[in-house]
Amino acid sequence: MNSNNEDELWYKDAIIYQVHVRTFHDSNGDGIGDFLGLEQKLDYLQELGVSAIWLMPFFPSPLRDDGYDIADYYSAHPSYGTLEDFRKVLDSAHQRGIRVIIEMVLNHTSDQHPWFQEARSSQDNPRRDWYVWSDTDTRYKDTRIIFLDTEKSNWAWDPTSKSFYWHRFFSHQPDLNYDNPAVREQMWNVMKFWLEMGVDGFRLDAVPYLVEREGTNCENLPETHNILKELRRKLDQHFPGRMLLAEANQWPADLRPYFGDSDEFHMAFHFPLMPRMFMGLKLEDRKPITEILQQTPEIPPSCQWSLFLRNHDELTLEMVTDMERDYMYDVYAQNKTMRLNLGIRRRLAPLLNNDRRRIELMNGMLMSLPGTPIIYYGDEIGMGDNISLGDRNGVRTPMQWSGGWNAGFSTAESEKLYAPIIHDPVYGYPAVNVAAQRESEHSLFHWMRRIIAVRKSSAVFGRGSIEFLYPANHRILAYLRRLGSETVLIVNNLSSAAQAVELDLRRYKGNILIEMFGNNLFPRVGDLPYLLTLGSYQSYWFRLRRV
Amino acid sequence: MEDGNFLTDDFLRQLINVGEVDILVGLPTHNNAKTIGSIVHTIRSGILRDFPRERVVILNADGGSRDGTPELITGVSIDDVRPASNVYALRTLHAISTKYASTPQSGVALRTILAAAELLRAKACIVVSPESELITPEWISNLLRPVYYEGFDLVSPTYRRHKFDGLLTTNLLYPMVRALYGVRIREAYMSEFGFSGRLGSQFLGKNRWNDGIGEDGAELRLALAAVTGGFRICQSFLGTKDPVERRAADLVSTLRQSVGVLFSALEFDFDVWSTVSGSQDVPTTGNDLELLLDPLRVNRKRLLEMFTSGVSELESVFQSILSPSTLADLKRIVGLGDEQFRYPAELWVRTVYEFAAAFQKSVINRDHIIQALAPLFRGRVFTFVVENRNGSAMDVANNIEGLCLEFERLKPYLLEIWKSKE
Repeated sequence: MNSNNEDELWYKDAIIYQVHVRTFHDSNGDGIGDFLGLEQKLDYLQELGVSAIWLMPFFPSPLRDDGYDIADYYSAHPSYGTLEDFRKVLDSAHQRGIRVIIEMVLNHTSDQHPWFQEARSSQDNPRRDWYVWSDTDTRYKDTRIIFLDTEKSNWAWDPTSKSFYWHRFFSHQPDLNYDNPAVREQMWNVMKFWLEMGVDGFRLDAVPYLVEREGTNCENLPETHNILKELRRKLDQHFPGRMLLAEANQWPADLRPYFGDSDEFHMAFHFPLMPRMFMGLKLEDRKPITEILQQTPEIPPSCQWSLFLRNHDELTLEMVTDMERDYMYDVYAQNKTMRLNLGIRRRLAPLLNNDRRRIELMNGMLMSLPGTPIIYYGDEIGMGDNISLGDRNGVRTPMQWSGGWNAGFSTAESEKLYAPIIHDPVYGYPAVNVAAQRESEHSLFHWMRRIIAVRKSSAVFGRGSIEFLYPANHRILAYLRRLGSETVLIVNNLSSAAQAVELDLRRYKGNILIEMFGNNLFPRVGDLPYLLTLGSYQSYWFRLRRV
Repeated sequence: MEDGNFLTDDFLRQLINVGEVDILVGLPTHNNAKTIGSIVHTIRSGILRDFPRERVVILNADGGSRDGTPELITGVSIDDVRPASNVYALRTLHAISTKYASTPQSGVALRTILAAAELLRAKACIVVSPESELITPEWISNLLRPVYYEGFDLVSPTYRRHKFDGLLTTNLLYPMVRALYGVRIREAYMSEFGFSGRLGSQFLGKNRWNDGIGEDGAELRLALAAVTGGFRICQSFLGTKDPVERRAADLVSTLRQSVGVLFSALEFDFDVWSTVSGSQDVPTTGNDLELLLDPLRVNRKRLLEMFTSGVSELESVFQSILSPSTLADLKRIVGLGDEQFRYPAELWVRTVYEFAAAFQKSVINRDHIIQALAPLFRGRVFTFVVENRNGSAMDVANNIEGLCLEFERLKPYLLEIWKSKE
């Protein structure tokens, strides 16, 4: 799958599906999803049309941060299966044309990792310098605290070695010391291990925080970029065609360096866009969306933004202004238990009040704006969440496969499931499940299949340029995607009410518009503004064709 | 719904693009380029500060400006095409403009604003004078909040004024509206005001726009429509009002737009005001009367000269308008010297009421009646200035209150002459 002969820009055309092994399907009835369960459901993902899966951390871990606290980088958590089981997933996915991207947490380990256990055992231990230690908790004081709800400081006291250690996330996740060449070498060895096994890429977690320097905010430092460039150089040298995806929750201008000169990351999440899509929808105003995309710098041709609506974390509101954050809280999380850190811990469907039209509109924008879309597992059928579960666990509940026992997720006793299945009247598994939606031609699942198919029908979406049209009606978000001789026009109505819009398409005079879902013809473009009317939250995707 | 055919296609297209709004800010203009820039920026600041989430349009109804006024207004738009530097807005802020005529007509301007507000389903609207250079962002909030959040239908302004500013209001309009309609609205002849979409729609539908009457003094008609229609009214203190400096010739025009409109409205509202006795306060945020006392030069001699010559020259006109006793009293005070001259409240009220009755009966051309009031008003102003020359704010307020009570006390007299056949 990832041989050198493949198109090395595959990630630009990909439809990525984000899934946690634990949540997807349980093959052995222990109540926890596993590799073999995932393998059994690859046909489903193929049917949906995804071309890559991104697996969240599946390594041995005390699971105090859902696997982002890794205790062994060279193995799999026994709950999910063996390395051999993982190889089966890899092979089966590749046989179906599905690539596999895995999570790699470079910044920190679990405090249970043997490296840290050794490092804390004495100040003379050879691994002592693998982590960041201090006699005081006042160093790097200009550094913000990310998990505001739980952490008071980025330093934690280690009673064993009687000093402070640095952690940007939970205190049980000590940061590795990337000033130490041995750490850099070790982490490359970790990546190499998985690349040799056949993974197609990594989603590198928390990359802005690798290096610390006094007098800075310890984010996005040049030293960090140098380390990432070195990893990329090795990747290209030894594993061409593999991909690095950056998780850097930063403003667009700060994100741009992560692409370097095509010598750092292949892809990076566009974090600031996501909340603004929700904001634009609620405001019924395209301004938040077009503004952030106007501020988004050009990236090298081989690079790509990664777009998403929801993921395993809270809907992060770090990259918005205070005014925007207040607004988002008020309109999407009036119930304060829905708020976590600087974000909203909810799934897509509940955020949109289970309004099918808005779910389609948002997914339509996800699929048509420049970048590679990532679908969070279960959002393709409109799964709900369970805010009574702590932290972000409410959006990590078992996949709802059917209306049967445990939603078809597991044959275990219900109380043995790693998390309760959603069973409320609206989003519960009897109402929302894959089997039922497969049966219904008009289900969200089939709509998602169709839009994915339409997106995959043209490279313009993954590789084309974008040009916004700015019709005077600000409720309409319209843009042209172009690649070579192909031009696609996307028109989105962000309003709950029907809208009329006049588009200036004079330079396409003589073209006819072909609606891409039904292949229906629309009137030819003439000298006058092209008048369209759109129903509530309606979208049009047109291919422009000169006849 | 009001027939919107008087709106141009271009304007309708702009409205379609704006879509439904929560708030509409109306700006009637005509060659206001010198002042409008700072005013509209202040409006924008007020909106962005206090109503950042609301859908807002600033709407300019222009009477044929040739100095670039509309462009100054539309230039404060904030959208994704023209993002404002150093200004952050959550959503698009529209500023649009339409030329309703080649010459300014305040009634047509208001009608345009009302029609747009109805088409855009605005919940709360305000109108701001293009001459209010002392406007602050708080004005916007003070006019909008009572409508948008508290359910009021009309927000009438109160200002901090010099004690000798706004004398037509303090000596005639306020006391007469108060006495006849029973509500104590300080500024019924409003240059800034807020209103609900509900009131705007009703007034738009009912006002007689097309018979040549309804367009004059439409702001005053709106206030009276709110009173007679049982709408919820309040007052909101805005701040210091720009002193009005007008040429003497402007007085007649102002009288037409205000007193003429009030007299005209009395005909149609007879069933309402004829049954009202006494008056009630309206809910007021902030002070309803703040007076500045700093010295102000008033040309009293000129006022008295104009009064004296007016009474002399217009005696035949007054014979048609005024009762013999009132006319006799006027002629008597004309003979008094500067030091002794007083136009007492009781005589002033009788004069005004007799003018109103004469207007109703059209004893002569109605416009001539209004014109004839001008010199008499100057005599009353002379007296007000003299009586309050050294008065404290409390003294002036008491003086105005006394005049109001005189208007209320003599209301039966108005009813009597109103109903009489002569």
